[in-house]
Amino acid sequence: MKNGTLFFLGLFASFTVSFAVVLLANHQLGALTPYFDDGEGKAFPDRMPGVAARGQLVYRDLGCASCHTQQVRRPGFGADQARGWGERQSVARDYIFQPFAQLGTMRIGPDLTNSAGRKPSALDAEDLMNLLYAGQGAMPAHAFLFEQVKVTGEVPAKALKLTGSAAPAAGYAVVPSEQAQTLVAYLLNLNTVYDYPESRPVVQAAAQAEGAHK
Amino acid sequence: MSHDTQEVSANDAHARGPLLLLLGSGLVWLVISGVLALIASVQLHTPTFLASCAWFTYGHMQALQETAFVYGWLANAGLALGLWVLTRLGGEALRAGNWVTVGALFWNLGVTLALVGIVAGDATGHSLLQLPRYVQPLLLIAYGAIAVAGVLAWSGRRNEASYASQWYVFAALFLFPWLFSVAHVALFVVPMRGVMQAVTAGWFAQGVFTLWLAPLALAAAYYVVPKVTGRVLPGYQFASLSFWVLIVVGAWTGGRHLIGGPAPAWISSLAIVSCSLLVFHYFVVWLNLKGSIGQGGAVMKFTSFGLLAYVIGGCADAFTSIRSFAVITQFTYFTQAQQQLALYGGISMLFFGALYFAVPRLTGKTWASAALIGGHATTAILGVLLLVISLGVAGWTQGQALLKPAVTFPEIAAATRPWLLLATAAYAVLLVGNLMLVVNFLQTLAAKPTVPAATLFQATSDIKETA
Ligand code: HEC
Repeated sequence: MKNGTLFFLGLFASFTVSFAVVLLANHQLGALTPYFDDGEGKAFPDRMPGVAARGQLVYRDLGCASCHTQQVRRPGFGADQARGWGERQSVARDYIFQPFAQLGTMRIGPDLTNSAGRKPSALDAEDLMNLLYAGQGAMPAHAFLFEQVKVTGEVPAKALKLTGSAAPAAGYAVVPSEQAQTLVAYLLNLNTVYDYPESRPVVQAAAQAEGAHK
Repeated sequence: MSHDTQEVSANDAHARGPLLLLLGSGLVWLVISGVLALIASVQLHTPTFLASCAWFTYGHMQALQETAFVYGWLANAGLALGLWVLTRLGGEALRAGNWVTVGALFWNLGVTLALVGIVAGDATGHSLLQLPRYVQPLLLIAYGAIAVAGVLAWSGRRNEASYASQWYVFAALFLFPWLFSVAHVALFVVPMRGVMQAVTAGWFAQGVFTLWLAPLALAAAYYVVPKVTGRVLPGYQFASLSFWVLIVVGAWTGGRHLIGGPAPAWISSLAIVSCSLLVFHYFVVWLNLKGSIGQGGAVMKFTSFGLLAYVIGGCADAFTSIRSFAVITQFTYFTQAQQQLALYGGISMLFFGALYFAVPRLTGKTWASAALIGGHATTAILGVLLLVISLGVAGWTQGQALLKPAVTFPEIAAATRPWLLLATAAYAVLLVGNLMLVVNFLQTLAAKPTVPAATLFQATSDIKETA
């Protein structure tokens, strides 16, 4: 490798080719548009409401993705469906309106892709507020997202209904901050209930392939 | 070991200031990242630890420790050692040393701002690219300033023949800015959408390892091993093929983390194939550098351990990219174990080895304390082993449990807890070791050169006898 120019060109070429692979994927996925369902007369996925979009920023800024994924893997690959994380696998179309897709890399806690669409019952706003305020098991408390206010007269409507050791001192109430409210709005918006055409055949094909291996 | 005149080289005196600045700042970040890693690790088994403040969430601590380690410690040390190897092999004094100094100052300013930004909640959320978007241009420019010296050293090299070390350093110097700026544009300036962000971030993260950090570490090893052992590398004729395999297919292996998810399946398939091709690279590295295994002396202790970790880490990547392994290890602590094996066990240990070799030659002084070197070697090796094993077992336990829908999250937490405690102990051991290195480094800088220059390298080149 005495020839510096050739060496340099080789480096450049290998780098470019590796990025070309990324661009190829982008070519494939970047063109995805919402899917219009004639039966329902509307397109999917929905855009996130503004408050949920702001909540996604809170989710990102606090680093929730360091413990939670938002991607349900295909059937036959892990127990994602069996754990009730989603009735179908996640597909690229699910994320097209997300400015900061939070796919995540660690599952210290459960997957949250479809956490608001879970059956038979998903956590509601109150559950989520309490969970964020007090934590649960290895899920850290995020009490800093809440304020303790002195109650004069009526208890604020937003105040958490806390009991036991989590309850505030008498005469005080715990109310969610703006951040906590947007975050919960975001969490309540997480669902992949709608079934796209591409999430169906993949389900079958993968299941068949899996079956063939066994 | 050869005692040719180059050992006492005026070139080193020239490079001393800028390179010691890089190494010194790297060591500061190493300790800072050690403290941060310790905190993050405690939070995993004790979620109440520092939970009362938005600044110290686990997500932040994780991003902070990774950023301080990679962009603080590994970047500074890697650049210093890379430039040193280039000037030594090129037979030319370091040119544009002032650029290096200014670049180093701005780089470290950038890393500081990045950490402040992460604490404030501006991490990007992409593994190995947590740097807030607004500090990235500053880091890029600072990097450019440092790399100028490398380009001059390569183009002005006096020795026509080029060595493997030189290819690796030059590749790292040149490829990182490309990688970094392309990722910056694709993720932040004209951001790709949805899943493509994860694909691009995965490509970048893999590139950081295979196109930047690994080449710098290998450059150091390819330089140091023959110097210390005094032997020609046995598989040198394959070295260039091995180099190109790393450079060409290395970055393609990034997609292995996306297996099973919403990214197109061909991305992870391509990654799996690339991982197995890369085994050839690891094999040749092993063939070339296995002469360092079992050699005495501190430099060789670190280097041979680093080498083993690098090769084993590469093979582990290939194994765990296979679907039947990935289904267990994906999204678990096992991936953290692999990352620590590669970044700490591999890259960082190779840097330690080269650092112990380079500092006496740069400063003209022997290491102040042989005992501290020995202490660092023992704690580093013990710490890495403990860390990788504990995270690995924790991850395997977690992965097996996640596959069984009946096992609840509190149960998983209980089953992994002992191993996570052990991981915390490992981080503490590593931190203690790194403090020994810092103390030794400072004492060495502060000491007056006691040994006359002529005999100096006689003494220092044989750290193996003193350590
Ligand atoms: C240190 C890791 C960690 C971090 C950081 C973390 N979580 Fe959790 N989370 C968990 C664990 C573990 C559980 C499961 C708790 C249990 O069931 O015992 C959980 C549970 C949850 C649940 C309930 C899910 C379910 O299906 O029951 C939600 C919702 C949630 N977390 C949201 C968040 C949000 C929002 C953030 C960021 C503010 C966050 N988590 C940060 C670990 C974490």
